[in-house]
Formats: sequence, structure tokens, C-alpha cells
Amino acid sequence: MSHAVAPVRHILIEGNKSYHNITEDLVSPTEKSPTREWIVAFTLSAAFLALYIFSIVWTVWKGIGEWGANRTINWAYDITNFVWWIGIGHAGTLISAILLLFRQRWRTGVNRAAEAMTIFAVICAGQFPIFHMGRVWLAFFIFPFPNTRGPLWTNFNSPLLWDVFAISTYFSVSLLFWYTGLVPDLATVRDRATGFRRKMYEWASFGWTGSAKHWQRWEALSLVLAGISTPLVLSVHTIVSFDFATSVIPGWHTTIFPPYFVAGAIFSGFAMVQTLMIITRKVLRLEEYITLNHVESMNKVIVLTGTIVGVAYLTELFIAWYSGYIYEQFAFYNRVFGVYWWSYFGMMFCNVVSPQVFWSRKIRRSIWWTFFLSIVINIGMWFERFVIIATTLARDYLPSSWSYYRPTWVEISIFAGTIGLFFVCYLIFTRVAPVVAIAEVKSILKVAGDQYIGKNANKKHH
Amino acid sequence: MHHDNGIWVSTEDLSREESFLQSAEREFSVETIDQTDGKWQTNRRDFLKLMGFGLGAATVAASCEIPVKKAIPYVTKPDEIVPGVANYYASSFVNGGDYCAVLVKTREGRPIKIEGNSLSSVTRGGTSARAQASVLSLYDNRRIQFAGKVKDGQVEKTDWSKLDSEVKEKLAAGGNIRVIANTILSPTAKKALGEFLAKYPTASVVTYDPVSASALVAASEQCFGIAAVPDYRFDAAEVIVSFGADFLGTWISPVEYARAYSANRKVSGRKGSKMSRHYQVETHMSLTGSNADNRVQVRPSEMGAAVVALYNALTGNSGGPKLNDKAAAAIKKIASDLQAARGKSLVVCGSNNIAEQIIVNKINDILGNLNNTVAFGAASNQRQGDDRKMEALIAEMNNGQVATAIVWGANPAYDYPGAAFKAAFAKVANRISLNTTLDETTLLCTHAAPAHHALESWGDAEPKQGHIGIIQPTIAPLFNTRQAEHSLLEWADSASLDRQDDQPYYKYLKAHWTGSLFNEQSKYSTPGAFWDMSLHDGVFEYPAPGKTVSFNGAAAVNTGAVSQPSSSELEVSFYETVNIGNGQYAHNPWLQEMPDPVNRTVWGNYLSIPVEWDGKDIRGWNNLEDGQIVELEANGQKIRCTVVRTFGQTPGTASVALGYGREAGGCATGYGVNVNPLLKNEGGFTQYYLTDARVTPTGDVEKDFACVQHHHTMGVQGKQGDKTVNVDEAVLAFQGSLTERSIIFQTNVKDLDKLEAKMEEFHEHSGHLNSKTLYPTNEEYFGTGLKWGMYVDLNSCIGCGACQVACVSENNVPVVGKNEVKRHHEMTWLRIDRYFYGDIENPKVVYQPMMCQHCDNAPCENVCPVNATNHSMEGLNQMAYNRCIGTRYCANNCPYKVRRFNWLDYTTADVWPANEERIFHGAGDDTPFYADNLVRMVLNPDVTVRTRGVIEKCSFCVQRIQEGKLTAKRESRAIQDNDVRTACQTACPTGAIVFGNLNNPESDVNKAQKNAGALAYQVLEEINVRPGVRYSAKVHNANEELFS
Repeated sequence: MSHAVAPVRHILIEGNKSYHNITEDLVSPTEKSPTREWIVAFTLSAAFLALYIFSIVWTVWKGIGEWGANRTINWAYDITNFVWWIGIGHAGTLISAILLLFRQRWRTGVNRAAEAMTIFAVICAGQFPIFHMGRVWLAFFIFPFPNTRGPLWTNFNSPLLWDVFAISTYFSVSLLFWYTGLVPDLATVRDRATGFRRKMYEWASFGWTGSAKHWQRWEALSLVLAGISTPLVLSVHTIVSFDFATSVIPGWHTTIFPPYFVAGAIFSGFAMVQTLMIITRKVLRLEEYITLNHVESMNKVIVLTGTIVGVAYLTELFIAWYSGYIYEQFAFYNRVFGVYWWSYFGMMFCNVVSPQVFWSRKIRRSIWWTFFLSIVINIGMWFERFVIIATTLARDYLPSSWSYYRPTWVEISIFAGTIGLFFVCYLIFTRVAPVVAIAEVKSILKVAGDQYIGKNANKKHH
Repeated sequence: MHHDNGIWVSTEDLSREESFLQSAEREFSVETIDQTDGKWQTNRRDFLKLMGFGLGAATVAASCEIPVKKAIPYVTKPDEIVPGVANYYASSFVNGGDYCAVLVKTREGRPIKIEGNSLSSVTRGGTSARAQASVLSLYDNRRIQFAGKVKDGQVEKTDWSKLDSEVKEKLAAGGNIRVIANTILSPTAKKALGEFLAKYPTASVVTYDPVSASALVAASEQCFGIAAVPDYRFDAAEVIVSFGADFLGTWISPVEYARAYSANRKVSGRKGSKMSRHYQVETHMSLTGSNADNRVQVRPSEMGAAVVALYNALTGNSGGPKLNDKAAAAIKKIASDLQAARGKSLVVCGSNNIAEQIIVNKINDILGNLNNTVAFGAASNQRQGDDRKMEALIAEMNNGQVATAIVWGANPAYDYPGAAFKAAFAKVANRISLNTTLDETTLLCTHAAPAHHALESWGDAEPKQGHIGIIQPTIAPLFNTRQAEHSLLEWADSASLDRQDDQPYYKYLKAHWTGSLFNEQSKYSTPGAFWDMSLHDGVFEYPAPGKTVSFNGAAAVNTGAVSQPSSSELEVSFYETVNIGNGQYAHNPWLQEMPDPVNRTVWGNYLSIPVEWDGKDIRGWNNLEDGQIVELEANGQKIRCTVVRTFGQTPGTASVALGYGREAGGCATGYGVNVNPLLKNEGGFTQYYLTDARVTPTGDVEKDFACVQHHHTMGVQGKQGDKTVNVDEAVLAFQGSLTERSIIFQTNVKDLDKLEAKMEEFHEHSGHLNSKTLYPTNEEYFGTGLKWGMYVDLNSCIGCGACQVACVSENNVPVVGKNEVKRHHEMTWLRIDRYFYGDIENPKVVYQPMMCQHCDNAPCENVCPVNATNHSMEGLNQMAYNRCIGTRYCANNCPYKVRRFNWLDYTTADVWPANEERIFHGAGDDTPFYADNLVRMVLNPDVTVRTRGVIEKCSFCVQRIQEGKLTAKRESRAIQDNDVRTACQTACPTGAIVFGNLNNPESDVNKAQKNAGALAYQVLEEINVRPGVRYSAKVHNANEELFS
């Protein structure tokens, strides 16, 4: 990218790389036979995907009654997982769109994988609102299409309908953005490929020639998409939070939800990027492209958003107390000390306490700490959604209807299955496309390559 | 382009390939779509190919076979049937001594719903859950479908004529003949039985009741010379004391008593309102006890002591067995209350101890209640059983003195106390059953001569003297069964039975009515008119003899013969539940799935144990928890039962319901545990308690422990250190978390003005919070035309559950089975929430019927993404099932949690039969409950059967509203309140539910609300959902000095 160069701060490409080295390093994983690790991981993921398919067929065949939800807690695992996955899907667009606009060069190392992760996470998220329907075969009713039923229209007051639009828009824009970025890199792969592979990549790269006009159009499109995506990063989780915020249920009916959800989403998204990138850079030997500087930058975002989320949790408690309203007070009291107290404390520890260690530069730059905490944070964010959904519903207005929820094997299988679905997609992605954006990394080589700046700068370079 | 400068961009560029050069040429050219080479255009042939494939694929996909069900029209339409229009027939619900005057609603010749008959002066239009559910037992495929010999647990089909000749042969062979029956209310049946007894001089009838009131009847005979249950006049009583008699739920004639009782319990929001005062002395929390103003807890063995204590307090005597101090002090105060209401009080006793019953009669005598609240003018026939005769019969049978036993509607092999019956019965050579199902007794019989279901039968019933109800068939017999009376007359070779007639017993019955009964009245001049009007009205009432009684001095009060208090650590009492009785109603899935009003449990009986407060936590006695299985050892026997913690259970006692643990005869088989074998007979009367009981935890937990309510209290109080706190809130560690909710308001009647002031403030506050609106035009919109609303008087509601079963029956609400209820998947549109409040050890209860509130600002409506739930112009929150995709968002957002989701295929309405839910375990549920076409006959054709995956809920009986509107329209007049009465409203025995048009200031619902003044409120009024249902505060009349 030919944007203006900000004063040099970090080495983002190590190892005295030439443009050729970059191409070699990044394209070669798509050209070699899969490694044993990949095969093992893929088999495992595919097994989980099979479990997913089985449990979904089971649900549709037998009915939602195979889940543990009940007359009081009508949503539990399903929507918890939906919000969890949607949250994870927030880092990609944030990195590619907002950081692009903010001219954060470190994004080039991770944006490709993060965007891919976004897309796969949104695919996983989308499964839940679809299959939580009692009559999924009529799911098309949620689209406002001309019909002969009156015509019967959808209910534009319903946050669930807003979800449909928000998520489908987010998915299509993210997909477009991601694929747009991929085109020049796919062309690079094509140029090195032969035979059938070449044909496929030729088709996939839309006849990219690398001409100046192509680059010009490509950059223009990237910028436009970044412009469209930026509000989406904020809007999607805002709208997801409306599912709860616009209801009348104490503990859901809260105006703080939109910012709190968005911060939480970015928080969990970055945690997931960390989890994936730490594995990817190791397995694909991309340590020189996804450097500790990248890891550290992302950890800074994590500690920031984690703290925002923590402030939100405390604000909720304060406002509940301050409201003087018994249902509100009890709802939040119940969150902390009620039947699901363990999930609240799990959430508090994982999301608010644990990321605070990132104030230490040493820990921020520690691969092991980062990996461990990224997992902890993702567990914490799952707890957060569970707390909001199941705990709230379990104790609402009428004590006569209070109930308790336990997931069944079907729900657990579906959740585990979506993880399989996610990794199947991700593993295929690592085999077919460069996991680091080649063109974009090349564009920052001269301002972030270690042969130009930092301690290696006086070396002879290509 | 030319790499003069040595720069190339690709290998193609380097080698100057033709294609590259061309593309380089084109790089900055402008292409339009028109200039493409046409590669993507489809030609005509391709189009046809694609279309052909598409059509073919669609045809193959769409040709999956869907079963076709044919509806066949009448060839010749019967005159009285108009398709789509219901016919109502007046009849009576009778089962043993249980009676209710009913109207049977039939559609296209099928009985589908039971309504109360308001022409009856006994039940006055009220019904019970049992009566409501009786229509389902008609369509029970486990009924015996033909006559025959009973072999290997089955009936071997024979012709009736063959069976008759065989039976007659055995009867003629000599030896003693015994007819074993429960209470027989029918005068005509008794006449038929008389003919049978006349034919066979060695025959006699032995009557017993599944839950005995034998001592009560015997005491009446001794004290007043009349062997009958007195006519208790609860409406004339200002102070009511009940010693363990569950008169609102199960005792003798609950529908009648509930109606009368509630007459004095209605208060309006005015200072100085009066209501009766009700004391209940009992062991376990019965439905009646839960409605009492004060409960005095006694151990079951102390009941006699309690009765004597009252007698002593009234007479100044002393002595008698020792009662616990707390109860003794309370009874003294009760005595002074009673004395202040001389002639206007009523003492009843549910115990089966004759000495206690005699003392209670004496107490009523002392209090001047005889011929006032305890009258014999219209004495009740509803309990005629005599335990002593049954004991004698068992001895006879054991001695081989009985040759033939005919069981008529009774099931002694299951419900007769102890274990002696079965063995004795086996010694009878010929055992003939007239029962409708293959129950425990019929299985032991040699012959089955199955009777009709009541809805297929002709008959009559005289529950009280001067009141005779008609039973008329509302459907032709479904199976090859025969009326029991017909069978008896046949075997008696009766000359008055016209065997050539289509309906011989009908003729016999009519002859009795137009003969002797016609002469009892003077209103109708011809027997024909008399018969027609009686049949039309369903009841015939003639002035009762008007007998007055006085206490027979010879009936000695013997305080030594009452039950003697035991010092054993644990006593266990046995009781009858509101829904199941002693098993007579067990095989009815609607009743099984109706939660017990107090325990809120379904599909089983559970051992109620007391709840204790240790200053920190609410615990079950011995730290037992709900669902734990214990071994109960009593009377030398051991049974395993599941524990349920019950508030109000007397410390040192446990209670368990009768009627469960059925072994045969229907869907209840295998649910709960049979406790009848544990019962003891003392002095000729069955005792419903045992001392020296022991409970040992087994460490097991019942997997399917099904209770619809997990949280039971709304501010029960106890001591924490020195101060009194709401202990349920202390457990939640949040004082105010329950009591500050605007769900239940309650007060003592003497503090009515305080509550009124509080509620006025509450209404004002809510009004202020709700005053802002984004849609100001809505007020006007809702203010015009019809606006349906409901008013529920919590003070009249006794929690009996009739409305709930009526709702299930009216609205095709599915039965889901025990496991599904356990998972909180129950489908009831109307539930009765039960909250305890007051003293933790001896709390009061408030029942709150909870159904869709039909909010004007309905939170469910705006969250449905597909508009499946929406608001009608008449203020109804309505469901379009076909539009529902089942996101369940509406159910989450309902503050009242009244929306029900079809989690599984409960109604077998699904496309895939593989998913049909098996509801009953154990009893060989080969066909899923609703997949049985016989069961489906009970469905109301006006109400859609919902499929899996959709939400459903109370519709305010929209089909009835529609029908009422059509009626009014046809008659060219404005719709009136009584054009539309919801199923719950008509079922209610106490008139607690009023329904009508809120926009009509003169409507019943508005009048009732106005009458309640500030006491009328909306649940969660302040959250601005604007419900269409209003409740009134619960007012009790507790004697607050009772325990001080």
C-alpha cells in the first residue's frame, strides 16, 4: 500500500527479507503436501464437523425439545454460542477496516487470517439463529419478500429481524473485503502454479495481471469497502445487543449494552486472533512476519477492551443499585450470587482480572502467556453471554416460573461441532491461500523490514 | 510495455507472449457488458433443457407421499346436528359418590367438553377438575371393548348372550352372592339392584367408598337417627372449623361446598368488609387448609385430642388425650370465636373415627348449629360406604361363604385398605366385573361384563335428598359394552326390562321417572312433560322432606375412644388428592398432568415432609431434598417413595397421597407408589394415618421428579436471631426481593384500609411511570369497540384446578408426560401459581391463576420477527400458528412466562411419524397418546392442533368470542357479556373469574373491578405492558391472636 509512511516505530518484518523471500515464504505452504500436523488437525476438525451435522439433523428431526431449554429459559446454549461466535468475528473487520483507516501498519501481518477468521466465525454464528428455530424449514419467513400471503410482511420492530440484516450485511461485506484483498495474492500463487492448480487460481484471481490499473482499482475498492465496514464493526454487535436491550426483562433491558457488547466483541475477537496466529505462525514458520511486535500490539487492544468491559460490568451493577428498582436490583444481585454465580465469577476473572497482566511488557511479549490468556479470555467471554442469557431468564419477574437450565448432549455437540466447522474452514484456508497478505506485507517492507530499520539497518540489502 | 528499461512484470511479459501483449493493450480500454463475447448467454435449447430439468426435479421432490385423510359427509344428515354448531346436553357427572351437574358439549355427535349446569342447586354451575376431565376417559382405548372371560390378563371375547347364560347359570347354582360397589347415587339403579336382590335371596350389596366417610355416616345414625351425610351449609356459617376435612378439594361434595364457602369470602375494597373465618386443624397442607385463615397443626394421632379439646373448651369439661400446647391454646381461642357465632358456625371433621364424629356432632349441637348449618332436610347421599360391612365381607370370602362376587364400578383390589382383599377375593368361585377398564380387580375376575362410560349411559343420581340429576348419553356406545344396570336386570330376568327395545335401560329409567318420581311433583301435569323438562334441565328438584333433627341423648360422648396421641418420632398420614382421588381418576392423563394444587407436582405421589428454617437456610426435614428417594417403613411394611418438601406440613409428620402406584387399567400404571396396603382398619373404620413410621434415605434420586414450580414462597417469615425476617428473602440474601414485587398483594380484612391506601399509592406511582407514550392514538384505538378483559378475584380462587383442566379440554392443550414436565416443558395455557406467605412453619397460601395477560403494550408482539403474534382490534394478543417459526423470543420477553413452546411433537401433527412423543412410560405406550384416533375424538374442532416448533398460549378462548359475536350478529343485537364466557370462567366453582368487554362500563368485568376499588390491580402494573387481566388482592380473616 502506498500510503504515507509514519515515523518508524517497529520492525514488522524480520529476517532480512527480500520481495522474493516474502513470496517464497508465504506462498509455499499452499504448494507443499500437507504436513502431518495439518492432517491430524484436519481429521479431528472434520470429526467434530460430522458431530455437528449429526446433532443438527437430530435437532431438526426430533425438535428443539432435545435441548435443555424450557418454558422459562427459552434461549440458552444456542444464543450464547451465537453471540460468542459473532463476537469472535469482530476482530477481522476491525483490523482490516478501522486499522487501515488509522494507518496501523502492523495490521498487514495479521489481517488476512483475522478476516478469514471473521468469515468463518460468522458462518458458525449464523448456524445458531437458524437452527434454534422451532420450524427451521420456514426460516425464509424472516425475509421481507413479496408474497401472496396478504402480502404478509416481516415485523420491522423486531430486533431479530435487524439481526438478519446486520449479520447478512456484515457477512457479505467482510467476504467481499477479504476476497478483494486475496485477489493479487491468488494471482501470485497462480503465477507459480501449473496445470489444474493454475487454472483454478486463474479463475479465482479474476485474471489479475498486476497492471497499474488493476492496482488502482483494487486500492479504490479496498478503501470503499473499508469505509463500509467501519460502521459495521460497531453496528453488528450493537444490533445483537438490541436483542436483549430492547426487551422488558430485567438484566436485559439496559442501555449500556451496545458499547459494552462492541467492546466485548473486539476483546474476544482479538483473543481468538491471538490463539490462531500463535499456532499458525509456529506451524507455518511465519515468525518473521507475525512478530512479537504484532502480538504485543494486539495485547494492547485486549487490555484496553478488557478494561472497558470491566467498567461496563461495574457500571451495570451500580446502575442496578442506583435505579432503586427491585427487579433490576434482584436481577443483578442474582447474576453475582444467584444459582449461576460460578459463571459470573468465571466471567469476571477471565475477562476483567486476567487481561490486566498485559500491563507488563514482558507478559505482553510472551507467546506462552498470550496464548494461555487468549484461551482464558474466550472462555470468559462465553461465560459473559451465558450470564446475560441464561442467568437472566432463570430468575425474572414471576418467582413461580423460575427454573434452571442444563445443556443436553445435543447442545454441547452442536457447540463443539461449530468449533469443528470453524477449524475445517480455517485449515482449508491455510492450504489454499497465503495466510499473510503478500502484497500488503511487501508494501511495508521498506518501512518496517529489519534490514531498513532497527539493528539490522546497516546490513546490505537487496 | 516494452521492456526497454529492463523491467518486466511477469514471465509472460519477459517472453512477450501474445496473450500478454493483448491484455496489455486492453489495460486502459473501456469495456461494457455488451462487448463481452456472449459466453454467459443462454440459448433457447439450453433454456428448455434447464427448465425441463427444473420441472422434473421439482416434481420428484414434491411427489413424496403425504397421507390423505378422508372426511366423509353425512348421507342423511341427522336433524339435530348442524356441522360446526355445538349441541349441549344436560347430564350428570357421577363417579361413586362424586357428583356434578353438567352440560355436555357435543360437536358432530362427539362429546368434547364438560360445562357446569347452573340449574342445579347443588353445584350451581360449578365444576371440578375431575368432572372436566371425565370426557377424556370416554375416549380411552384401554377400556374393555367387549364382554368375555378374563384370562391371562385379557378379556376373551364372547357374545353377551353367552356370557349372560353362563352368569345366570352360576348365579342360579346357589351360594351367597355379593355385589361390591362404591356409593350408588342412582335411585333407578337401586331399583334395578332391588330386582336383582329379589331374584336371588342369597344376594346382598356391600358398599364402601375409596376414601371412607363411614364413621361420619355411622355417627349421624347414632346421633340423629339418619345414616347420611348432613347437609352442611357453608354459606350460612360465619365461623368454620374443619378437623382435617378437605371440603374444598376432596371431601364429600367439594364443588357444592366451594360455591357456598366462597359466598362469604368475597370482599370489596371497602373498609368494614366482612368475611367468614375459617380454621383448619390438620396435618398436611390440604387444599382447604391452604385457603384457611388459620391453620392449627396437629399430628394425625392428635386429631381426637383436638376435637376433645374443643369440646372441653365449649363445655368447660377437662380431661381427654393430650394435645400439643400450641394447638391446645389455639383451640381455646377458636372455641370463644365459635361461641360468639352460635347458630352461625360450622364444625366439620374428616376423620374416620366414630367417637370423634360423635363429639363433633355434639359440638355442633352445643353451638346451636343443628338444623342451621348442619341440616338433614336435604341430607347428602354422597357417601354410603360402610367399612364394617366390607370387613365382614372379607371374612365371609375367606371362609368360603361367597360363591359369586359382582364388582360394580369399584376397584377394591387396588383401593381397599390393607392387603386382605385380594387373597379373600381369590376364594370366591365366580368373580364378575362390571368395570370399564381392566383394572386390578377386573384382572382378578373370571368374567368381565363391561359397562358403558357415563357419557354413553342413561341414568340418574340423587346426591342430596330432593335433588335428582339425569344422566343421558351423548354418544352411541363406542364399544360393545352394556350398561351395568342392564346387566343386573338381565341376570335378574327382570320382567320390566324391554329387551326388544333399542335402549332397554332408557325405557326402564323413563318408567321409573314417569312413574314414582312424577308423583313427587306438581309442576307438570303429564308424565311426558315432566320427563322432557327433566331431561332438558338435567336436574329435577323437589322440596326435601324438611326433616329437623335433635341430638340423641343416647349417643354418648366418649373422649376415651378418640384416636390416642402417639409419642413416636414420625407419623405418616395419607390423603386424597384433588385430581386423582384414591385412584378412581388415575388413568386420566389430563388429571395426571394437572399439578397438585399445593405441591405443584404431577404424575406421581410424593412423600411430603416438613420444611425447617435453621436461621440460615430453608431445609427439608432431616436435610432431605426434593426428588430424593426414601424408604418409608410403617405398619410393618416398607415402600420407596420420593420426597417433596412441603410448607405447612406439621413437624414430626409426613404425608403421602393415595391413588397412585396403579398396577393396571391405564396410563397411570407405574407412576407413584400405592400406599393403600399400608392402611389399617381400627374399630371397623379405615384409618388414614400410621404412627411409628420411619423414613430412611436410600441415596437414590428420582430422575423424573416433576414439579412445575421451583420457587414456592412470597415472603415467608421466621426468626433470624431476635428479629423477624422474610426467610425466603434471607435465603436469597436480598430482603425485599420477593415482597416488593407487584405480583401478590395481601392483607388481613381488618387492615383492609391500610392495604387500600398502599395500593392507591401504588396505582398512582405506576400511572405516573406509565403516563408517557409514543403512541398517544392507541388509547383512542383501544377505547372504541370491543376490548376483552378479565378479572380474577384471588379471594374467591381456591386453587382447585378446574379451570386449568377446562382450558386443556377446550383448547386442545397437549399432554406431555412426566419427563417433559420435569424438564419444564409443560404446555398448560393456564396455570395456578401458588405462593406461601406468613409464618414459615405454618404459612398461608395465595393462589394466582396465570394466563396470557393480553397486554396492550405486549412485549411479545414487537419482538416477533415474522409478526406471528400480534394484537387484534379487540385487545386480544393473538397467535398465528402458521406464521410462527419458533424463535421463542416472545416467550423470553413475556414478563408472565405464559407462552408455551411445542418443544417436541406432542400432538403428532408432524409430517414425520418417527418423532411422535411417547408420553407414558411403563404402560405399553405402543401408540403415541395423540396418534390414537380414539383419543383425537376429544379434540375441539374449533381450535387448531399446534404442530411442533410453534408457540402457543391462552387466546381468551377466541373461538368462544367468535361464536358469541356470531350469535349476537345473527340476532341483530350488540354483544353482551354472557354471550362469551371463557372455559376457565365457566369451570370455576366459586365464580373467581369474570370475563367481558372492558369498553362497556356496565359489563360484569368492569363492575367486578369497580367493586374491588383500589384492591384491583394488574400484575407488574408499573412496567407499562398494560395487561388486560386484573386481579384483586388476597384478603384473609386470620385471628392474629391465635398463636400469640
